[in-house]
Amino acid sequence: MTLLLPTLAEPSSFALGEKLLFAALAVASGLLFAHRFVPILRTILRARKDADFRLSPLGRRVRDLVWDVMCQAKVIRQRPLPGLAHAFVFWSFCAFALVTLNHCAAGLGLGFLSPAGLFGRWYFYLAAAFALACSAGILGLFVRRFLVRPRWLGSHVSWESGFIAFLIFNLMMTYLAAFVVPTGSPAVKVLWWVHTLTLLVFLPILPHTKHLHLILSPATVFLSRGSFSRIPPLAGDEDFGLVAGTDLTRLAALQAYSCVECGRCTEHCPAADTGKLLNPKEIVLGLRAYLNEQGPASAEPILGKYNAQEAVFQCTTCGSCEFQCPVGIEHLPLIVGLRRGAVNTGTWEDDRGARLFLALERGTNALGLPAAEREKFIQKQNFPIFDGSQEYCLWLGCMGAYDPKGREIVADFARVMNYLGTSYGVLRKEKCTGDPVRRLGNDLVFQQLAESNLELLAQSHAKKIVTICPHCVRTIQEDWKEFGTPPAIEHHSEFLARHLSRLPQVHSDEKIVFHDPCYLGRYRNVYDEPRAVVEHAGTRVEAARSGERSFCCGAGGGLTFLGEESGERVSHVRAAELAATGAATVAAACPFCNSMLHDAFAAQGSGAPEFVDIAQLTARALPQPTPPANG
Amino acid sequence: MKIVVAIKQIPERDAAVRIDAAGAWIDESDMQWGMNESDAYALEEALRLKEAYGGEVIALSAGPERVSSTLREALAKGADRAIHVDAKDLAQRDSLNVAQLLAAAIRPESPDLILTGLQSDDLGYGLTGVLVAELLRLPHASLILHVEKTESGLSVKRELEEGWFQNIELPLPALLTIQSGGNKLRYATLMGIKRAKTKELRNVAASDLGVAPAQTVALERIALPQKQKSTQILTGPAKEAAVALVERLKFEARVL
Repeated sequence: MTLLLPTLAEPSSFALGEKLLFAALAVASGLLFAHRFVPILRTILRARKDADFRLSPLGRRVRDLVWDVMCQAKVIRQRPLPGLAHAFVFWSFCAFALVTLNHCAAGLGLGFLSPAGLFGRWYFYLAAAFALACSAGILGLFVRRFLVRPRWLGSHVSWESGFIAFLIFNLMMTYLAAFVVPTGSPAVKVLWWVHTLTLLVFLPILPHTKHLHLILSPATVFLSRGSFSRIPPLAGDEDFGLVAGTDLTRLAALQAYSCVECGRCTEHCPAADTGKLLNPKEIVLGLRAYLNEQGPASAEPILGKYNAQEAVFQCTTCGSCEFQCPVGIEHLPLIVGLRRGAVNTGTWEDDRGARLFLALERGTNALGLPAAEREKFIQKQNFPIFDGSQEYCLWLGCMGAYDPKGREIVADFARVMNYLGTSYGVLRKEKCTGDPVRRLGNDLVFQQLAESNLELLAQSHAKKIVTICPHCVRTIQEDWKEFGTPPAIEHHSEFLARHLSRLPQVHSDEKIVFHDPCYLGRYRNVYDEPRAVVEHAGTRVEAARSGERSFCCGAGGGLTFLGEESGERVSHVRAAELAATGAATVAAACPFCNSMLHDAFAAQGSGAPEFVDIAQLTARALPQPTPPANG
Repeated sequence: MKIVVAIKQIPERDAAVRIDAAGAWIDESDMQWGMNESDAYALEEALRLKEAYGGEVIALSAGPERVSSTLREALAKGADRAIHVDAKDLAQRDSLNVAQLLAAAIRPESPDLILTGLQSDDLGYGLTGVLVAELLRLPHASLILHVEKTESGLSVKRELEEGWFQNIELPLPALLTIQSGGNKLRYATLMGIKRAKTKELRNVAASDLGVAPAQTVALERIALPQKQKSTQILTGPAKEAAVALVERLKFEARVL
């Protein structure tokens, strides 16, 4: 058996001079590595502490580390082929840890794994298998980066990546070759030295390249804030968001240095995808450049030279970037943080933005309409007023109370609740939840709205809220926590899915495509419920991008109130994609998506599919339909 | 330039207005209050002038305790300090009396410029500003949309009827009443609110200014407007109807 299988050839002995030379080179490589890495580590540690950081729950952190780092789950799931190639390289690195230790120890005459021993023999074969997989993986990645060249990697050709790929390939080849050369031949020594020199060159290169993620990203994933798009509370009277280096926290700095420039965030970004200035990868790299040039103690503004204000305010907060990022970067706290810095200090000047802020500073709703309009709508619809005796408080939201299309959705959802015999009531003096100002970074108005609504809800004794707007759901449930304890809230898709068995089913081959709203999907992890509602009304089909990879309608992040877009309209791209499914009907579950996509389909002209909310799909199957309310 | 901006606090735009038992004023309990709109534009103009030419902006308001919230708002938007003329008896004071209060508070400051809104959105007399100017014997101009500083004083743009404007020059010190819409209002910022906490808000009792409540004009009765809906149908060829529609939109509805 031993005669038939090749054995790893190791140099039999090293002269003292050789040992000294190796030791000197290894120390030089280590020192050079430290010389480059320590300043980065110091920059991260010198940054402001994250005031709200808690290590618990530890279980979630360990799970993320095991699942997303060790198992490479996210990397593989979101980009299967390159993901698998990357996973092979990563797993090989893990497998090679022991081999490399032994390799270096052998150079000092202290080798502890013997190719002749049982464990050594087994382990070297295991490493060889990984080396083969790694070589195939790195070759594949090389071909992809330099020949296929996906657009999100940018037009810049990274020679540094090519060189690193060459080093990795060289490491694998010199290891595998040692199985082929005869033991005792001079080639064994040559292979050992080539392998060693490659290692010693590889190490100090890491800190100044994107391969720094090898060292940092496990920590970044482990230490991430954890909940999606978590916007940290402002810390103290002098914190206005990300204005300068002094506002960058350790987590922000760690994330900035962890970026591997893979461009997953760019690939999925609706702004980058429609020709706008924003590129989430550049936001992160801009922060890294700031930290390198200015440092975390600098008072120099971040917006300007390092990140463009225009780009920061083009984000729809759809969260694709943060969802996709394989190294645990949380883009939304960064982008919203930069917005907070600009808005809380008054440096952002935008006519429509200022109009929205003033409307919510003085008035009650983001549309800037008189509150009396809401009262008229409630009277016209005969909505009961919530008095604490009903099961649900029906939260209308600005769109449900003032927008003509949103009003239709609310009216239809109320019809469904009436049919089910569910008791509900609406509040007389509900105000905007503050979603658009929260995402645009206006902490002052957001706090005013959250506090006044929380007080109103506390007085009303509401225990359960249901609403048609996923932005309201998110803001009430997560963002208000900073100022009090909001009642339980759910989205109408969850309510409808739970009551489907009591609602009339339509067996139809009408093809219906569901458009996942970002704030329902990625923000709330609700994908199945609205689909169940759709399947109750017809035959479900899926768009090219759906579920957690759904493409934004363009409304979020307060952008619907800012009007003009540069480049292509996000809503038009999405509407074309939905129409391409051939579905007769498009169903959404968000009044903002509804407004944006309605207009986009109207622009498509005749032949555009019908566009409804899932509440309307349900309501139209109810017996004795009353004429639709038009507010 | 030292600028005083006189600001009135009025019921919030969306607030439900009820008439009180006496029928001569609104029921102020549970009322939400805010800054009079044209006064907000006066403040904006003052802040822009300060940004362009330097100096100081002082916000001034007369009324009960509640007006301090509006003065805080002015400080948050960028005023340097504020004076609160504490007068709990505004209902017993008419425009002339309030103007006397304001003039008495302004006099020791001897500002270069006094700005105030064209008129209040609650009473709408449009008197207080010009009365203050007369009491202080200052030149004044009303309905101002735009202000520029010149070597000798100010160059201002006034709004006249039917889309006409008038450009006039006047020396300093002076008083201007500002029309809404000349500038874009700035939004309040968190930094502004935090900084405002450390700014001076001085309380001056109305009695210390030597102006006792008095009325030459008294409100007798107020009433809520009656809802009226009338529909006019314009007949005839489309071209003539369109001309008639534009006429009515322009001169009756005044939306064009």
